[in-house]
Amino acid sequence: MPDIQLNGVTKRFGNSTVIPRFDASIADGEFLVLLGPSGCGKSTLLRMIAGLTEITSGTLAFDGQEVNDWSPSRRGVAFVFQSYALYPHMTVRENIAFPLLMDAFRKWHHIPLVSSIARWNLMRRPDIAERTNQIAEQLELTPLMDRRPASLSGGQRQRVALARSLVRDPSLYLLDEPLSNLDAKLRTQMRSEISALHQRVRKTFIYVTHDQVEAMTMATNIIVMNHGEIQQVGTPDEIYARPANTFVARFVGAPPMNLLDVRRDGARLSLEAGTSWSHPGAFPAGGRLILGLRPERLKLLPEGQPGIPAQVALVERLGAEVILGCRPVSADGTSSGDLLRQDLIFVRVAGNPRVAPGAKVSLGYDADAAIWYSAETGQALPDPRPVSAMVEA
Amino acid sequence: MTGFPKSVTRLLHAVLVLALVIFGGFPIYWMATTALSLNSELYNTGQVPWPQLGNLPAMLADLVQLPLMRWLVNTGIIAVGTTLLSLVLGALAGYALSRFRFHGKGPLGFLMFMTQVVPEALILVPLYAMFITLGLLNSLLGLVIANVGFSLPVAAFIIKGAIDAVPYEIEESAAVDGCPRISVLTMIVLPIIAPSLAAAAVISFFAGWNEYLFAATFLRDRELWPASVGLASFIGQYETPLSAVMGAALIFSLPAVVFFLLIQRKIVAGITAGAVKG
Repeated sequence: MPDIQLNGVTKRFGNSTVIPRFDASIADGEFLVLLGPSGCGKSTLLRMIAGLTEITSGTLAFDGQEVNDWSPSRRGVAFVFQSYALYPHMTVRENIAFPLLMDAFRKWHHIPLVSSIARWNLMRRPDIAERTNQIAEQLELTPLMDRRPASLSGGQRQRVALARSLVRDPSLYLLDEPLSNLDAKLRTQMRSEISALHQRVRKTFIYVTHDQVEAMTMATNIIVMNHGEIQQVGTPDEIYARPANTFVARFVGAPPMNLLDVRRDGARLSLEAGTSWSHPGAFPAGGRLILGLRPERLKLLPEGQPGIPAQVALVERLGAEVILGCRPVSADGTSSGDLLRQDLIFVRVAGNPRVAPGAKVSLGYDADAAIWYSAETGQALPDPRPVSAMVEA
Repeated sequence: MTGFPKSVTRLLHAVLVLALVIFGGFPIYWMATTALSLNSELYNTGQVPWPQLGNLPAMLADLVQLPLMRWLVNTGIIAVGTTLLSLVLGALAGYALSRFRFHGKGPLGFLMFMTQVVPEALILVPLYAMFITLGLLNSLLGLVIANVGFSLPVAAFIIKGAIDAVPYEIEESAAVDGCPRISVLTMIVLPIIAPSLAAAAVISFFAGWNEYLFAATFLRDRELWPASVGLASFIGQYETPLSAVMGAALIFSLPAVVFFLLIQRKIVAGITAGAVKG
């Protein structure tokens, strides 16, 4: 199983640069998720690793050996496409067995007509039949073996695509948004199945998605990308707890992290609209900062308590929890702006508290909940708390 | 909205279908009726509008004297040869036009389209001269090549259109599975576009089957004639044996009708392929 190194990998289509420069190292057995919005270059990167798209410059190496010019089949990878890319004229059995047949084919077997006879013969070879049946059984496809893809549901097609990628026992699995065509329930189920598969085969998985829930639940490591560049590399916990910049902070988490453009005024913080409150901890240097607060780290307190004075504008009851959208209240007691503007501060409250839109509240938080960003660069600033406080936290 | 009662709609539907069947089938009926008439009736008293089965032995006796089987075999060789060559070259050309980017792709497509605009008669003389040089005159192979020149662009465009609709991921998936490009074409792409191949096959087959102008010009030996030229040779200066011509024409049409019936389902699927997002 290879360690994968990408050194200065770039991709240009004509004058358009999709990936300006990409450096990363992917360890053996890792479940790496490439996470980013549509068009950020994550699929292009995956296709370059598979050998389906040419690398413009830089090197891609498996176990230290450059593979830039290797064909997709020589790289020994399995690729699961977003559209599944099953062969519609073949049965499930033939689809699963196809990579094995190609391995068993001699050069002259590829002569038209001879290929049909060779395929017919090889499908009956005991080792191929046995391996095909074994994989089908693992993915519960045995009853569907003689059906064509058109007669299968989305989840079944996805499993056939996975079975086809598994059958050759590749060292590297590349999955390009494989769950995006499934409904929400099936997606949850397939998510667990893919995670279980990774646990079982213990091979390297590189998984592309724009869905942060998929990334958080499945990955051992995440690379967050935007405009072809790495924004942050880390475990799901690291990325959620301490986003490296405001892009990652907004992209990971639902609702996303609240980012408040604040000015420091002595021991108090104030928003441009006039809202002002006393911050419970230390500050980093600088007059203008961005304060990041995760919705679940905010506490809903009665009006007048220490915290950000706000008025509830939106209540979304989700059963086990409630998401509140709150608008900061200025010193003269008015909240400004439209209901649906983005400057709502989201609060996640467990249970089913009795809060109605219009209620005046205070949004309290602890010092360790605050993550500070530079207002100029959007990059995270060092934690201003004393080391002793950080250790206790 | 209330419309006609269902029974009335069905009756109208049945009447319409019957009218179309009569309209389409009448030429074949008339061909059979003429074949079973006596020449004396046709030229003197007028044709009886229903088949006279009593004249069947006489018609068969007339046909037996003709090298009908030889002409049919020649027609078959031309039609099948044209079909096979058009499909093989059309598949390669269609795939290249659909999947590869190369200089001159646009003009090449335009030139291929232009072959359909040029009438056969216009290129008859230059083609004749070319065939003399290449030694292809008076040979069925030459005739197949001449016909392929006209049917290949149509086949290539039908196949190109069908390949355009095949998701590229399927080919990429095959490449990852270790399938070389030629097998991607023969084992993956062509089976997927089988209905369009059938449509291209029908067009090429009938182009070869109905071949007349090139055959009448390039083939000197009576033994090499296809049925179309053989039938036309009955037309004499003073008399044309109409019943024998129609009898031979009837036999000539049968293989083509059988071929069409066998392949028609696939053609309909091929014509409508890609019309609706699946």
